[in-house]
Amino acid sequence: MIKKKIVMLGAFAVGKTSLVQQFVHSIFSEKYLTTIGVKIDQKELMVNGQEMTMMLWDLYGEDGFMKMKPSYMIGSSGYFLVADGTRSETIETAIELQRMAAATTNNAPFILLINKSDLTESWEIAPETLLKLQQKGWTVMLTSAKLNLMVNDAFQKLGQMMLEKNNG
Amino acid sequence: MSNKSPHFDDSLLEAGKLNELRKLLTGLDQNELQKLQLLLNDPHEFSAEIGRLLPYSIRKMIESGELNHDSLLPFVEETIHQSILKNPKRLANILFPVMGPAIRKAVSEDIKRMLASVNASLENGFSPRALKWRLQALFSKRSFAEIALANSYLYHVSHVFLIHRDTGLLLHEETADESRPLESDLIASMLTAIRDFVGDSLKAADSGSLDEIQYGGLKILVEQGPYAILAVIAEGQPPADYRVTLMETIEAVHYNHSLDLEKFDGDTAVFQHTSKFLKQCLVKEKKATRPRPPIALIFLSAIILGLAAFFFIKGYQNRQRFQAFIKELEMSPGYHISKSRIGFNKLFVNGLKDPLAVPPNQMAGWADLDTSQIRLQLEGYISTDADIVIQRARQILLPPESVQFKLKNAILYVSGQSSEEWKQLLLQNYRSVSGINEIDISGLNQNVVDLQWIVPEIERHIFYFDVNIIRLDSVQQLQFDSLVGAAINLEDYNRIYDRNMAIHVRSYTNHHNPANEKVAFDRANEFRELLIQAGVKEDLLKSQVLFVEDLDRNVSLRSVHFSVFDTKPQQE
Repeated sequence: MIKKKIVMLGAFAVGKTSLVQQFVHSIFSEKYLTTIGVKIDQKELMVNGQEMTMMLWDLYGEDGFMKMKPSYMIGSSGYFLVADGTRSETIETAIELQRMAAATTNNAPFILLINKSDLTESWEIAPETLLKLQQKGWTVMLTSAKLNLMVNDAFQKLGQMMLEKNNG
Repeated sequence: MSNKSPHFDDSLLEAGKLNELRKLLTGLDQNELQKLQLLLNDPHEFSAEIGRLLPYSIRKMIESGELNHDSLLPFVEETIHQSILKNPKRLANILFPVMGPAIRKAVSEDIKRMLASVNASLENGFSPRALKWRLQALFSKRSFAEIALANSYLYHVSHVFLIHRDTGLLLHEETADESRPLESDLIASMLTAIRDFVGDSLKAADSGSLDEIQYGGLKILVEQGPYAILAVIAEGQPPADYRVTLMETIEAVHYNHSLDLEKFDGDTAVFQHTSKFLKQCLVKEKKATRPRPPIALIFLSAIILGLAAFFFIKGYQNRQRFQAFIKELEMSPGYHISKSRIGFNKLFVNGLKDPLAVPPNQMAGWADLDTSQIRLQLEGYISTDADIVIQRARQILLPPESVQFKLKNAILYVSGQSSEEWKQLLLQNYRSVSGINEIDISGLNQNVVDLQWIVPEIERHIFYFDVNIIRLDSVQQLQFDSLVGAAINLEDYNRIYDRNMAIHVRSYTNHHNPANEKVAFDRANEFRELLIQAGVKEDLLKSQVLFVEDLDRNVSLRSVHFSVFDTKPQQE
């Protein structure tokens, strides 16, 4: 049994909680996010034929009122950076958070999830921006929590990346 | 060719000679010298070579006395000091498995108990429960701390979690309560998050840690290690030394899995082996429950005791009634009880009964008895009791109403008036009456003198005296003779009328003078003596002094009266 701590990072209201909500086992209510700044969920999946338990630390999205606590990131084996495809500024927040997370997590693997991919009409993020990030070595995936698009794939992919780092 | 060859040969010769000379001088050939030169020119190689030799050299120097421990001590101390200043956590991590046991050994069990006692006292100092404990302490003569501790020793550790310190991932868990499964992975992570939250919020120092979370009667006790933490869920208040168990466990885990913990990459399989350590933490101690009073037994005992008491009292009362009845039977004329026995709620009586005796069911004691409880075995017999014999005589002899029977020593005394015919029948038949041996008919059909007059005659006489006079004067002497004339018949009176009449000489005086009593006494005595002299039997005379003040009627002072009364009233 492999267990991994995964952190969900991103700006406020990008859909972090929605992304995990339908696919995880949870016993804690949402109020923990606004009280102690984190809500922990559990997801079990098979990665490369291996059973893996992901402990998902859904961190409160940064906004003007509350800062993310870096200590919650300690010990993470991987993380999701979540941005909102309809709000280009959330990419900037994600990039900023990645810098902090890279230092704290000793360059743990991560995936940038551009959420709300179903809202094509109000899409704000230019393909070039994502291309640049991919060129930097980032893994970028477009997801829709609402339509359940690429969400499981994202977990699967991050699981593989973490195992690869283990083996490498 | 010939020119070149000698030149070549010469140079070779030179080189050979030089080598030979170098070897002779240094003892080393050229290769060895080049190697030595290379070693000196390369600092890395050189230091590596020196490093290999240095420990050996130091040991040799210490052995030879060129170097001692004291001279090394400042360097070592300074190095450790610098190391601590630079990264204290590292040294703490190194020493953690060693320091714990050493420190614990230094703390005696008594001190720990005392601390626990103080804690318990403070925590429960003013609660209603504490008040109850204080009362317990007061009445049991034990210290409050003892009582508080005794009540605190009630706990049950149901779950133990080994959690990776940095990731918050659950490495292994043990549970003693399978019926209550917990979301262990989530709890472990959340516990870590709470720890981080508290640490961040309070800006706690590195040394601070979250040791305990309490929720109602539940506690989460946390013991921190450098790489892993141990969390247990306990109900109640574990004893003070339970912390030691937690410390020993986390130390044992670190000691045995230090590398696994340090290099933890998410694979928890290896921590299955911590099971034996974690299980040590699953402890429970039940408070000695006060044995419930055996209500059913008490109830049953009460019923049994009640019944026993009822039957005992009933038995006692029966026995009393039986004994009273037996006594009544024995006293009753016409009965002869030979044997009586009181059994369990039963009376057995054996004896004899005259047919004329009062039947048992007419006796007073009979009413108190349950006839079903009595077994009377009474055989018939002829009683010689006077009453029965007289009854028998009346049945057989059929006397007229004017005739009275009296029986004494089997002699039937017959008195009264009867016809001559009945008198003859009496004389013929009295022998047929069992219990009568002889007959006395001297009292029958005699001209009995009527002596009824003597009582008022005696009581009529009153003698008056002057002061201090005791003797009778001549007039009184005549009066006295008249008295004697009546009093002398008193014996006959008693015999005829079957009475026990006596004369009471009453001499009256007053309290005015103490000498009065003496004079009054002498007067009474004088009359008594005179009456005895006149022939009245002494036992028919009694004298007394009375004071007129004590009477509710008017009686003259210095007077003597005579009163006739029955000393033994006849039984009706």
